[in-house]
Amino acid sequence: MEEWRFEPAHDFGLSAEQRRQSLRREVGLESAISCLLWRLITRFYLALAHRLEICGRENLPKRSPFVLVANHASHLDAIILGGILPLRFVGAVFPIAAGDTFFTKRSSSIFATACMNALPIWRKNCGAHSLRDLRERLLNGACVYILFPEGTRSRSGEMGNFKPGLGRLVAQTNIPVVPCYLRGTFDALPPSGRIPRWKKIRVNIGQPVSFPSAANDRIGWEAIARSTETAVRALTN
Amino acid sequence: MDPVTKERLFGFRHAFDSPVTLWITLSVLGALVIASIIIWLLRTLGRTSDKLHDELVKRVLSWAVMTPLLLGPVLLGAAWTIAAVAILSVLCYREFARATGFFRYRSLSIVVVLGIASTTFAIADHWYAFFVAIPPLIIVLLAMVAILPDQPHGYTQRVGLGAISFLLFGHCLGHLGYIANDADFRPIVMLIILTVELNDVFAYITGKTFGHHKIVPHTSPNKTLGGALGALLLTTTLVATVGHFVFAGSPVDTPIKLIGLGLIVSVAGQFGDLMLSSIKRDIGVKDMGASIPGHGGLLDRFDSLLLVAPAVFHYINYFRGFGVDQPTRIFGGGA
Repeated sequence: MEEWRFEPAHDFGLSAEQRRQSLRREVGLESAISCLLWRLITRFYLALAHRLEICGRENLPKRSPFVLVANHASHLDAIILGGILPLRFVGAVFPIAAGDTFFTKRSSSIFATACMNALPIWRKNCGAHSLRDLRERLLNGACVYILFPEGTRSRSGEMGNFKPGLGRLVAQTNIPVVPCYLRGTFDALPPSGRIPRWKKIRVNIGQPVSFPSAANDRIGWEAIARSTETAVRALTN
Repeated sequence: MDPVTKERLFGFRHAFDSPVTLWITLSVLGALVIASIIIWLLRTLGRTSDKLHDELVKRVLSWAVMTPLLLGPVLLGAAWTIAAVAILSVLCYREFARATGFFRYRSLSIVVVLGIASTTFAIADHWYAFFVAIPPLIIVLLAMVAILPDQPHGYTQRVGLGAISFLLFGHCLGHLGYIANDADFRPIVMLIILTVELNDVFAYITGKTFGHHKIVPHTSPNKTLGGALGALLLTTTLVATVGHFVFAGSPVDTPIKLIGLGLIVSVAGQFGDLMLSSIKRDIGVKDMGASIPGHGGLLDRFDSLLLVAPAVFHYINYFRGFGVDQPTRIFGGGA
């Protein structure tokens, strides 16, 4: 008789705080439930307060893994992109969030993980190896990343240039990258604001692209960043 | 809800109705204070190294946190006791599911949690027929839900892990909660928890002193014949002595039956410990988690209780019954 094969959670044995910070964090029933509740509340809020309009929903891949990329002007962005995905992806969607913004304080890191299911990336010294971990996870598992390749929220509302980190995740793979353009989020909640305003928000979802033949080196990553940036800019109208 | 039930569920004024409850509470608190003093003395006399001292402090601190969490609900009332057992069930299940990887089968995980919730309802409702109906029904549900993904590879393992999870953490542990349906549940529940924990301590101390022959070196290299027999002797004596006051005047209160009770606590407790060792070796992990500093996971601490609770429950239930004079079907109506 063949032996049973056990595979402990990849973040097994870590303390609660270490788990929240870990890129290997696996979502259990309790976080799946809290994320689902948060998703339902925010969907309702976005529909009501921002008359959220979604164009190109048919471009979303039917199955994971894939990466959603978009321009970034507001804290609402990740909530919106999480909200447009079908509910069956709950618990598999991981916004990649700035560690220094969301994971330094205990309360915000609990919110970032329990509600948003975010994975931290440390902007100062994120280094190649955490991106490699993220790439591996994307290749192995059923997961969806939400990524803002500008690296920070736009302070003017104008979209900035994409950084090549995205390329490290998807170069030489068939993983679809779905470009999205968010319009109205800067007016609704700019980086300088604290309370959202009742502004209309619209999301344009473009056709997925993948980069199986892009070189997995700096030149390839830059090319991927540029081509994704162009794809997002093409959705501005 | 009739006043008798209400008093049982929420009547914290009755906390020390039984003198045994008071003794146990005071002794446990006293033991914590004495342990702290001993650790402090050993430190000032320079008898403990830094590492050992830190380890001892960590353990006593953990107990200082756990003691009120264990004793508090029992003293407050049956409702809190039942709720505490339910929380313990869910947390133990969570640890087990994360260690085995079972948590990845989300729909099966929901079935197990549903089973724990139903068990808690059956206990709170004082509805024994439903309490014993849940295990087979949960197995029926697991067997059905596990078919839905249409992946027969590993089917037996998934259903098996689900069944073990519910039976151990929901049903077996649930027996501890069910005792809260007895009018005199406080001393009984405390007696079980106290002696099960002390059983571990006795085995450790006598094992250190008299232990030579390893009994199951592949399962747990630190378990010795001396430790096992020492715990058997000490725990049985303790259970029989305290049990005499707890069960005074009931059919359990004969020397033979009390010794039988003590033997059950000690044997089932030690096997519970070994069961978790076997599970850990099988999975290939050292501790079941990191939730209690100095102890490991919750299961590392409450493993013995899993086997003792049902064994003791049915032993006492056979001679004297639980909550026989209490109203049943509290929420569901009926007699």
